Amino acid sequence: MSEELEKTSDDLTIATAREVVAVDNRSRNQALVSYWALPTTFLTVALLGGLRVGVDDSAFIFFAPPLITLVLAVLLMLLFVRGGLVELRLWIAANHPPLRNVSHIWVLLTLFFASAQAFNSVLPERGLLHWLFSFFFLWTLWNNQFSSFDARRLLRSLVVLFGTAFVLKHLLLASLYASGGGWLQRVAGALVQGVSLGTLDAPMFAPATGYISFFTLGLYIAGLMLVANSKQQTANSRQGIQNVAASDC
Amino acid sequence: MRQKLIQILGLGFTALYALAIVWLYATEPRSFKEVATGAQVAAGTYQVDQKRFDAALELFRREQFRAARTEWKSADPAQSDPTTQFYIAYSFYREGWGRVYYDQDLFKQSLEAVNRAITLAPEPISVPDQNLQLHTAAELKTELEQGMERNWGDLNPLKVMRQRK
Repeated sequence: MSEELEKTSDDLTIATAREVVAVDNRSRNQALVSYWALPTTFLTVALLGGLRVGVDDSAFIFFAPPLITLVLAVLLMLLFVRGGLVELRLWIAANHPPLRNVSHIWVLLTLFFASAQAFNSVLPERGLLHWLFSFFFLWTLWNNQFSSFDARRLLRSLVVLFGTAFVLKHLLLASLYASGGGWLQRVAGALVQGVSLGTLDAPMFAPATGYISFFTLGLYIAGLMLVANSKQQTANSRQGIQNVAASDC
Repeated sequence: MRQKLIQILGLGFTALYALAIVWLYATEPRSFKEVATGAQVAAGTYQVDQKRFDAALELFRREQFRAARTEWKSADPAQSDPTTQFYIAYSFYREGWGRVYYDQDLFKQSLEAVNRAITLAPEPISVPDQNLQLHTAAELKTELEQGMERNWGDLNPLKVMRQRK
């Protein structure tokens, strides 16, 4: 009987140790994602979002985010909070250690600039098209402020929003204004220019710009998915703690 | 404790990364080579290519001003060496100097280069080159500014007797 008890006691001890290691690993991985992966991802988006490649000399051209992209980023941040992707009360609270609050504010700041640069990446650089795209973004984000969203739906909506803008700017418009196109393409380009009295003029960039923009948007969405995932994991671990507390009672 | 370390290191690394991004947008390098040169300037390890500088000086003394400038621009791609910028300004001055009139466009470029040299130098530039008559950036700047001024004295026929410095 006592041998059986000892064996059971050993098993219990081993199981607890494993759990402790698992919890330790989980918290360490979550810390790595929150304090390394997320800010690095968003900062990379902030770096690449304004990068274009010149068509003649393949030189880097850095476009600082226009003012309108900052306004759009503010609206998007509000949407993140409303949609529950960013739970401000969990991220920043008076009972958290100061370092944790500072880290979370830093992640929010990088998310803000990444959002601004993601818009910068898919906005035409000048002319009427720049303002048309800006208006449609503004309209969509403003409308979304009054819709009911959850994090997953919000992510899907953003993929569609950025995807559409990417296709319009880097595929449709880029091919319309490309200098090496066929005669039909050139006629279409000239017609668009003529009808719009030159207001639809857009600067030409090397095809590499489209690839950079695609990578940037992919990275941005991946970063947002990481945020949603870390939020889910936090919720799961809180649920686990509550379950354990309930069973103890 | 380990989590705190991850937080601190993460904050430090990403703050440095953010500074690098701000620096890139502020300096706007046009290629990876310019990024590397800019990083050298920022780190204080930047040096001009001495061989190219000497070759340019040789061309300058043979009055091959454009070729000299091309070499100097290659020797100092970041435009961060005051002496090289002074010589570039001098080459624009000598090329633009004429007995009858001064080439205003070249003088303007010379003035830009000499201003760059003055801004870059921590103390007044003095170049002890026997081939030059203006040894300091301030003298060269004054000469250029006088050359760009328009006044009735420009009509004086005796001005053709003046000497290039």
